[in-house]
Amino acid sequence: MPTDHPVLRRLLRGIALVEDGLLIVLLALMIALAAAQIFMRNVLGSGVTGADQLLKLLVLWLGMLGAIAASRGDRHINIDILSRFLATRARLLCRLVVDLFAALVCGLIAVHAARFVHTEYEAGVTAFGRMPAWITELILPVAFTLIALRYVVMFFADLRRLRGGTPP
Amino acid sequence: MIVAAALLLIAFAILGAPLFAVIAAGAMFSFYRADVDLSVMAIEIYRLAEMPVLVAIPLFTFAGYLLGESQAPRRLVRLTNALIGWMPGSLAVVALATCAMFTAFTGASGVTIIAMGALLYPALAQAGYRENFNLGLITTSGSLGLLFAPSLPLILYGVIAQQLEVGRGVGIDELFLAGLLPGILMLALLGGYSLWTNRAIHQPIQDFSWREAGAAVRQAIWELPLPVIVLGGIYGGYLAVSEAAAITAIYVLVVETLVYREVGFRRLLHVMHESMVLVGGILIIVGVSLASTNALIDAQIPMRLFELMQERVSDPLTFLILLNLFLLGLGMMLDIFSALVIMVPLILPIAVGFGVDPVHLGIIFLANMQVGYFTPPVGMNLFIASYRFKKPVAQVFRATLPFFFILLAAVLIITYWPWLSLGLLGR
Repeated sequence: MPTDHPVLRRLLRGIALVEDGLLIVLLALMIALAAAQIFMRNVLGSGVTGADQLLKLLVLWLGMLGAIAASRGDRHINIDILSRFLATRARLLCRLVVDLFAALVCGLIAVHAARFVHTEYEAGVTAFGRMPAWITELILPVAFTLIALRYVVMFFADLRRLRGGTPP
Repeated sequence: MIVAAALLLIAFAILGAPLFAVIAAGAMFSFYRADVDLSVMAIEIYRLAEMPVLVAIPLFTFAGYLLGESQAPRRLVRLTNALIGWMPGSLAVVALATCAMFTAFTGASGVTIIAMGALLYPALAQAGYRENFNLGLITTSGSLGLLFAPSLPLILYGVIAQQLEVGRGVGIDELFLAGLLPGILMLALLGGYSLWTNRAIHQPIQDFSWREAGAAVRQAIWELPLPVIVLGGIYGGYLAVSEAAAITAIYVLVVETLVYREVGFRRLLHVMHESMVLVGGILIIVGVSLASTNALIDAQIPMRLFELMQERVSDPLTFLILLNLFLLGLGMMLDIFSALVIMVPLILPIAVGFGVDPVHLGIIFLANMQVGYFTPPVGMNLFIASYRFKKPVAQVFRATLPFFFILLAAVLIITYWPWLSLGLLGR
């Protein structure tokens, strides 16, 4: 299957490394910035300009990066009742349906998010200060593309397991 | 058509599809039918970057995970023991109090059962408590403390309620205050039951000694200011929730890595990563639910539901009884975060229509969810406990049953006695 290809696998591992690195750096930035802001406000009387906006933006980016990481390990919040009562084969069939569904939904959001970012880019909208809005929004199409990709990979992995008869 | 789509989505959810995808699909279907351009999804999810209070979620979650990774649970138990261990049968009370505090800071994601259970379960057995009592106690404690600040579900309820703009406003500081007495009621009932059922255990765990108390205080001296700063700051009105979260995160980071030096650099990176996986799982659900909530409101679904309810249910009391039953069932199936984002937009307008205060509804909702976590046969914490302590699920069911009925009683009191939630607010 295509997802078994060594180049693709290396590529995905490389992307995962970047995701994890960015996740940790942004969390560290958020902690430092939030703490600095409180310090400045209480000791110096005024906060850093733009820091509040940046903090709010970091919530979105951390959330999306966390969601990518969650999809990598198939750790998204779901209802985990049925699988406890199903046999291996039925469980794998369920997973195939679910993988495909999640990949489709995320792919659809990614396409429309990309369209949205493109319009914002063309219109030259700014988010705060002189920061162009399309840069702050870029995480949306990127994240949903990567999540969709992860579910495609999972779909083929589950398909292989179904053929080989190994449990997930 | 709509019904078929809804059923299909529920089927996907039951098959185990990630809930954010199910919610997003529902929102997109609804927008599509209303001829709204689907790029609205991106606009809605981007609103995650427009709510200052959400900054609290990554910061508190990180701090909670880091505390769980350190020896803080051990110090907390030692300290509580030193202070009230002279009371016969007090270890159960120690367990309840420490678990509640730990859950308030970490959220009821099963972390409490894993981190505190490892510590308390053997200790309880050693002190002569029955196995089933211990099992029930720890399983129940896994979601105890949800009503105390700064628990994430309370914050999230406030965020969602503020989006809806119905009835009187809901401040997150008001929710923190409102959860106080109901939370204490739950603790008191469980504590009373524990003391009564174990009255045969006369042996105190340890006699009170100033030396041990002093040593325990000295050992935990760096962590002791934390609840004081955070809870004092929030309840006293000095700190906004996001500020309290920032202080907690930086304080815990400095204390656990530089002062106690219990979490090394590699471990720290791991904790950062793991906590953000949970945060990502929660925030993506919140993000897509911002879209689905607007889709629901556009389609006037909450209003239609209310009219439908009004035809069949005439008085608030019947409504509350139905609400309790419904939420208990929901709590078994859904985790608390998904339940909040899916159900609050539907239920809150109805409840307000029946004259229920939005703050009171929040407390009712979370109290029900808390019990749902270990409601047989499918409550999530039953399985976590069964897995963690290697006991058959059926045994965990039986062990948890007395606790279940006690907390059910607490939920009923909380539901039908609004003063308990609203008295401190004076509303």
